[in-house]
Amino acid sequence: MRKKNCIAMLLAGGQGSRLGLLTKTVAKPAVPFGGKYRIIDFPLSNCSNSGIDVVGVLTQYQPLELNSYIGSGQTWDLDLHNGGVFVLPPYMSGAGGEWYRGTANAIYQNMAFIEQYDPDYVLILSGDHIYKMDYSKMLDFHIKNGADLTVAVRPVPWEVAPSFGIMNTDEEHCITEFEEKPKQPKSNLASMGVYVFTWPVLKKYLTEDEANPNSQNDFGKNIIPTMLNEGRKLMAYAFEDYWKDVGTIASLWEAHMDILGENPVFNLADHYWRIYARSPIMPPHYAGPNAEIVGSMITEGCEVYGTVKNSVLFAGVVVEEGASVIDAVVMPGTVIKAGASVTRAIVSEECVIGENSVIGEAEGAIALIGYSTNMPAGTHVAAGEQADNNTLKGAGAK
Amino acid sequence: MKNLMGIVYTTKDDLTLREMTASRAVAALPVAARYRMIDFVLSNLVNTGIKNVGVIMQKNYHSLMDHLGSGKEWDLHTRIDGLRILPPFLTRENVGEYSGNLDALRSNAGFLRRSKQDYVVFTGSHTVFNAKFDEMFEQHLATNADITVMYAKARPTDVDYSASTSASHAFANIDEEGRVMDMEVNPNVATYPNYLMDVMIIKRTLLMHLVDQAFSHGMHDMYRDLLQKYVHNGLLRVYGYEFKGYHRRIETVKNYFAFNMEVIDHSVRSELFKTNPIYTKVRDEVPAKYLPGARVVNSLVADGCEIAGTVENSVLFRGVKVAPGAVIRNSIIMQDGEIQANCELENVIFDKAVTIRSYGRLIGQRQYPIVIGKNVTL
Repeated sequence: MRKKNCIAMLLAGGQGSRLGLLTKTVAKPAVPFGGKYRIIDFPLSNCSNSGIDVVGVLTQYQPLELNSYIGSGQTWDLDLHNGGVFVLPPYMSGAGGEWYRGTANAIYQNMAFIEQYDPDYVLILSGDHIYKMDYSKMLDFHIKNGADLTVAVRPVPWEVAPSFGIMNTDEEHCITEFEEKPKQPKSNLASMGVYVFTWPVLKKYLTEDEANPNSQNDFGKNIIPTMLNEGRKLMAYAFEDYWKDVGTIASLWEAHMDILGENPVFNLADHYWRIYARSPIMPPHYAGPNAEIVGSMITEGCEVYGTVKNSVLFAGVVVEEGASVIDAVVMPGTVIKAGASVTRAIVSEECVIGENSVIGEAEGAIALIGYSTNMPAGTHVAAGEQADNNTLKGAGAK
Repeated sequence: MKNLMGIVYTTKDDLTLREMTASRAVAALPVAARYRMIDFVLSNLVNTGIKNVGVIMQKNYHSLMDHLGSGKEWDLHTRIDGLRILPPFLTRENVGEYSGNLDALRSNAGFLRRSKQDYVVFTGSHTVFNAKFDEMFEQHLATNADITVMYAKARPTDVDYSASTSASHAFANIDEEGRVMDMEVNPNVATYPNYLMDVMIIKRTLLMHLVDQAFSHGMHDMYRDLLQKYVHNGLLRVYGYEFKGYHRRIETVKNYFAFNMEVIDHSVRSELFKTNPIYTKVRDEVPAKYLPGARVVNSLVADGCEIAGTVENSVLFRGVKVAPGAVIRNSIIMQDGEIQANCELENVIFDKAVTIRSYGRLIGQRQYPIVIGKNVTL
């Protein structure tokens, strides 16, 4: 392999249990987003658009769908002779082998992969954020400041700051203190989970961390605090544009609402920073004779005969006559039968919502329907509830 | 491995399609909101399992080459065989412009000679349909035919007799066993209801021999000069295979318009796109966006569109913008069209990247839609 200046490692192994039924059978990065994308399309497209052409994707939870989705990496121009995208599951080696124990351990176990490219810098990304970011600018910042580690940070509203990893910085953007979910935050600069490390430095800390039996082998809990304690140069790179952690049902729904409207909070239609995705190979969508579609995003293969307002429909979704989808997200291949209504809800892939069913309510928490649910006619799912074939069977038995 | 290869013959610019084919081959003509004509026949070949496909190009083939690229969208970017683009080149015998499909095959005899498959599917690119050729190939082998041609029962609307003669219309008389007994080429009124769809299966070595013979006898057109002769003298066993699905030949503005309006219909669309997948070049557009005030009924809309106005019975290609107050009826707007505020359009065909400024009004006749050429601002 030829030497690379910077390569990316994408942490995609998390289970994403806060997404409930959505991640029962797929890893979080493979969860559909924005009508025709999956969450992982965002970091991968960002890499490709930033000129980073080696990406290791670390997987271990429900990797099948993610593996086949990534394929050769051609979708993101990452099928290259010298570089490309590589799926890196945990593997056995001479001395044994084990699951990834933490974020730092996952990188540690793949040091041999990184060393092949002899990089100067390593970019660490996670697979559960929606954002468009030019990593090359952050890398320039890192190099210019001669930092050992640069953490991308973003100002968040003070009231939610206690739920993030907060960076306290001085006037020169040097990180002076790192607090994981502080009760009394001193700053509102939240870590985005995007790091640039100078590779020889990271290598040293990973090796030392691995030798420490008390460590949880985690970047936020172990590596970053240790580097701070030892006086390493840690910089905060401020990122002002849209960024959203879609780790919960509510935030995934909110992120979908953010792409709608005339002047959306998050604009996907950006010719200078396209997000690439695998094409579903379907014809353009059809709006029927009585269709009413406003304030929504609709993609290939959809057939709309009913009403769709302020919603996102993924490929191949059918909304039958008299059905309504309002403030909702309907994932690929799902059919909303005649007379059914879906309000403030996320409906997973390949579901059938029976006639006159009522999913979600105009107020309250987001309702969720799990993968491939075959919902009988007239079913009611209240705000904030989750339902799939198993819960429906349970309800029927009662 | 399938013992079949494919050759797609794309004809030169067809003037009956007016501005739409001024700078592109019919094979590259945009249809059905996101496709090009050639996507159908190419996908049919690929869905049959054919991996070795040559596309013969003539004039104005840059947009076709841009569309096909390496062939990766059709999984034809392979080491073994794959997509072979065959543009014209000057040789001693070939002066660059083909006077018919036989000349084109003669110029590309090298491709035929080097291919490993024993049989060839030779098709044109004027017809939209979704089919695999397996059954036709089985019939070809079972009947021990020399040539099998695909035909369909012609409805009066299938053929536009006003079309130019650059592409020949052929009709066949087919007996009970399926053998072709007589053929008419470009009749004013056809005697036989069996309309040939420009698809034939033939042994590769026989095709090479026939092409060589035809050239030495000064023949140019496969149907008019060669097939007809062999049907009459009975020296070759020519059989017909009936295709019963939806098909539409596109060679005039009238049937281009009619086809696009038909695809809005659910049954036509599901037959054309759901029987087997139809592949096309991916443009990585965002999903279509409906803004407040949008009213879209009975229309096909591609990704990348932004709609704030009214759209009825129309086909919008990728990236079309419809501003508030604009009304579009019974129209076809190709890629990146911009319909500004309060415009009114009816029975029009806009080629790629046409802009109509605010309060513009353009009303055509259903039988004779207005065609506006590429990159025009009204």
